[in-house]
Amino acid sequence: MNKTRTAALASLALALPALAACGGDDDGAVTLRYAFWDDNQRPALEAMIAAFNEDHPDIEIELEQNPWDDYWPGLDSRFAAEDAPDVFWNHVSRFPTYADNGVLLPLTDYIEEDGLDPSVYPENLYDSWRFEDDQYGLPKDWDSIALVYRIDALEAAGIDPATVGDLEWNPVDGGTYVEFLQKLTIDANGNNALSPDFDPENVVQYGTAMASSTGQTDWWNYAVQNGCSLQTEPWGDYAIDAPECVEAIQFTADLYNKWGVAVPAESTNQPNGGVPGDYVVAGQAATALDGSWMLSFYRDGLEPGTWAVADNPSGPVGSGTVINGLSNAVYAGTDHPDEAWEFVKFLGSEEAQAIATGMGSVWPGVSSLNQDFADYWAGEGIDVTGFQTAAEGTTIGYPLSMNDAAFGTAALDEFNQVWLGQKDAQEAAEAVVELANAE
Amino acid sequence: MRTLPVAEPRSETETARRAAPRAGRRRNLRTAVEAYGMLAPSLIGFAVFLIAPIVVVVVLSFFDWNLLSDPEFIGLENYRELAGDERALRSIGNTFYYVLLNIPAQTVLALLLALALNAKIKARNTFRVLYVLPWMAMPVALGVIWRWVFDPAYGALNRFLDLFGIDGAAWLTSSAWAMPVIASVNVWQYTGYTMLFFLAGLQAIPAQLYEAADVDGASPVHRFFAITLPLLRPAMLFVLITSVIGSFQVFDTIHVMTAGGPAGSTATLNYQIYLESFTQRNAGYASMLAVILFAIIALITLTQAALFRKRTVYDFS
Repeated sequence: MNKTRTAALASLALALPALAACGGDDDGAVTLRYAFWDDNQRPALEAMIAAFNEDHPDIEIELEQNPWDDYWPGLDSRFAAEDAPDVFWNHVSRFPTYADNGVLLPLTDYIEEDGLDPSVYPENLYDSWRFEDDQYGLPKDWDSIALVYRIDALEAAGIDPATVGDLEWNPVDGGTYVEFLQKLTIDANGNNALSPDFDPENVVQYGTAMASSTGQTDWWNYAVQNGCSLQTEPWGDYAIDAPECVEAIQFTADLYNKWGVAVPAESTNQPNGGVPGDYVVAGQAATALDGSWMLSFYRDGLEPGTWAVADNPSGPVGSGTVINGLSNAVYAGTDHPDEAWEFVKFLGSEEAQAIATGMGSVWPGVSSLNQDFADYWAGEGIDVTGFQTAAEGTTIGYPLSMNDAAFGTAALDEFNQVWLGQKDAQEAAEAVVELANAE
Repeated sequence: MRTLPVAEPRSETETARRAAPRAGRRRNLRTAVEAYGMLAPSLIGFAVFLIAPIVVVVVLSFFDWNLLSDPEFIGLENYRELAGDERALRSIGNTFYYVLLNIPAQTVLALLLALALNAKIKARNTFRVLYVLPWMAMPVALGVIWRWVFDPAYGALNRFLDLFGIDGAAWLTSSAWAMPVIASVNVWQYTGYTMLFFLAGLQAIPAQLYEAADVDGASPVHRFFAITLPLLRPAMLFVLITSVIGSFQVFDTIHVMTAGGPAGSTATLNYQIYLESFTQRNAGYASMLAVILFAIIALITLTQAALFRKRTVYDFS
């Protein structure tokens, strides 16, 4: 049982800024702290840092890792303490608030002085790190969602993997997608969910696993595929109470409760449940609509040749999803802005990102390397074009808003109840919109 | 048998002063300097890490602060906002609910355990260690393990219940079950620790009293209520004050097991402070909630102390 440590932290942050600053090292060497959250990407980061140190032996990089749910509160409190890491992973959902509050170092002048060519990045990806005429980051990567499935589960259910890319769903009868998931939902006696003898109390494998702190790897996919764009416009109000959104939220709830083809929300609800990949790797689920950043997780957890990637199912308006990207940002209060820029410039370079794509880590920010990434995975026997297809068509960008924190908290809180079958989708969506648009 | 107020034994310095007033004053001064010198490190820690943050939190409760830019003075606005904040008001209710689930169960169990382990039974020390072990473990690690145990689909508890054909509940995702489950985990964790204080209290009770009671033919129940319980009063006061304060501040078990959910049903006031400050970036508002929590705890602690004020000591000298 702790002291009111939250309050203590906040106040220490205010009371002790003098203790926070750490000076330069004795021998002229500089240490930069670099914060990130994704454990899957650690090997690639370490390899990029090793390459950076070949040319910059006097800049030492210290990695600081925290899981997603702790990463942001930790970062915020260290902004308050004026002791934030010099360089850190930034996410578009947090970016507007950070830029607006001046905790990010504008990189515009550095980019101009060094004559950096922004056209090596996709234009929309580069521009997503622009705020009021200043650039605050170089694209580190991009990601999208596609259907990851276990080949062995499909074969056992008598489903031809070649048909997986053509699945369709609708909110009325579920379509071929729900039928596909029903065939993959198997009870202890080996009956699937379509069989009259199926025992829903003793399921050993579910058709799909859904879990997300944000919506990105659960209901957003069905929302976009049903024509819901989450906001009235980028930077606009949240609009998830629109009929097409509520219908998709209800469809997600139906996968849990009406058709019973998803790993129960009692297990998957965030922030304490597992991520979809946990259930697929463990054999508790046959498929997941999962992020490209999880590829190395599946590679490390499953035997080669037992899993694959396909296009997302199509909803009433298409097979779109939400794409997103990260950038490396520099803390405005860093003691070493020049060195931090050197490091960020390197991380944004083709040379550095080629290291990450060569390890199959993430889709690169530098467009010319996309093929390298696809080639790496082809070498592993995985066709990853599903993620590229998912980045096109009706796909939308990550919602942009100053109210992301309020939206995120309200959505998780309300929809967790909907997934559990304890709350009506319409009512929950209205509650979220009211809370998120209030500020 | 007489009831007397407690008398402090005369201190050495007091005796010295009486013996040699002149030399003693100098020695006294030196002793005082030495004493304060030795206290200084802990006093500095106390001031910097406890008093200063408390002052800062009180000050911050009058500000609007998003952690990222400069705080802005808004007077009593945060306090006014509390009246219409259902979530925060509900978290205060949740806190009392948790304390009521936690304290009586924990205190009664600890007392029963202490009585059992004060008796001359085999392997008594082994049992004492076993019951204190949960308290020595990391609450976060325990929370993670208990979360597995209570997982509705894959958890050990429901699989065990399944052997008897019982359908276990969705312990941590049901608004009705989540709080009792968390309270029971904390009871399990802290009962052994609480027991230690009762055990120490029991061992301080003079054996003559029980012998005298035996001679008078008192029943075991009568002995418990006439001798044991009244003489455990100091231990009881300490246990109640510290464990009530502790349970008002519960954080780690909730954070790991439910993160305040489902639907805010396990968000205690202390957890609400965390949520407001670090997920909503309302550090000023969270500071106001911390002041409220402080006021509640202070009020309850003072009430407890007042109720236990009458001290009972048996003097045989």
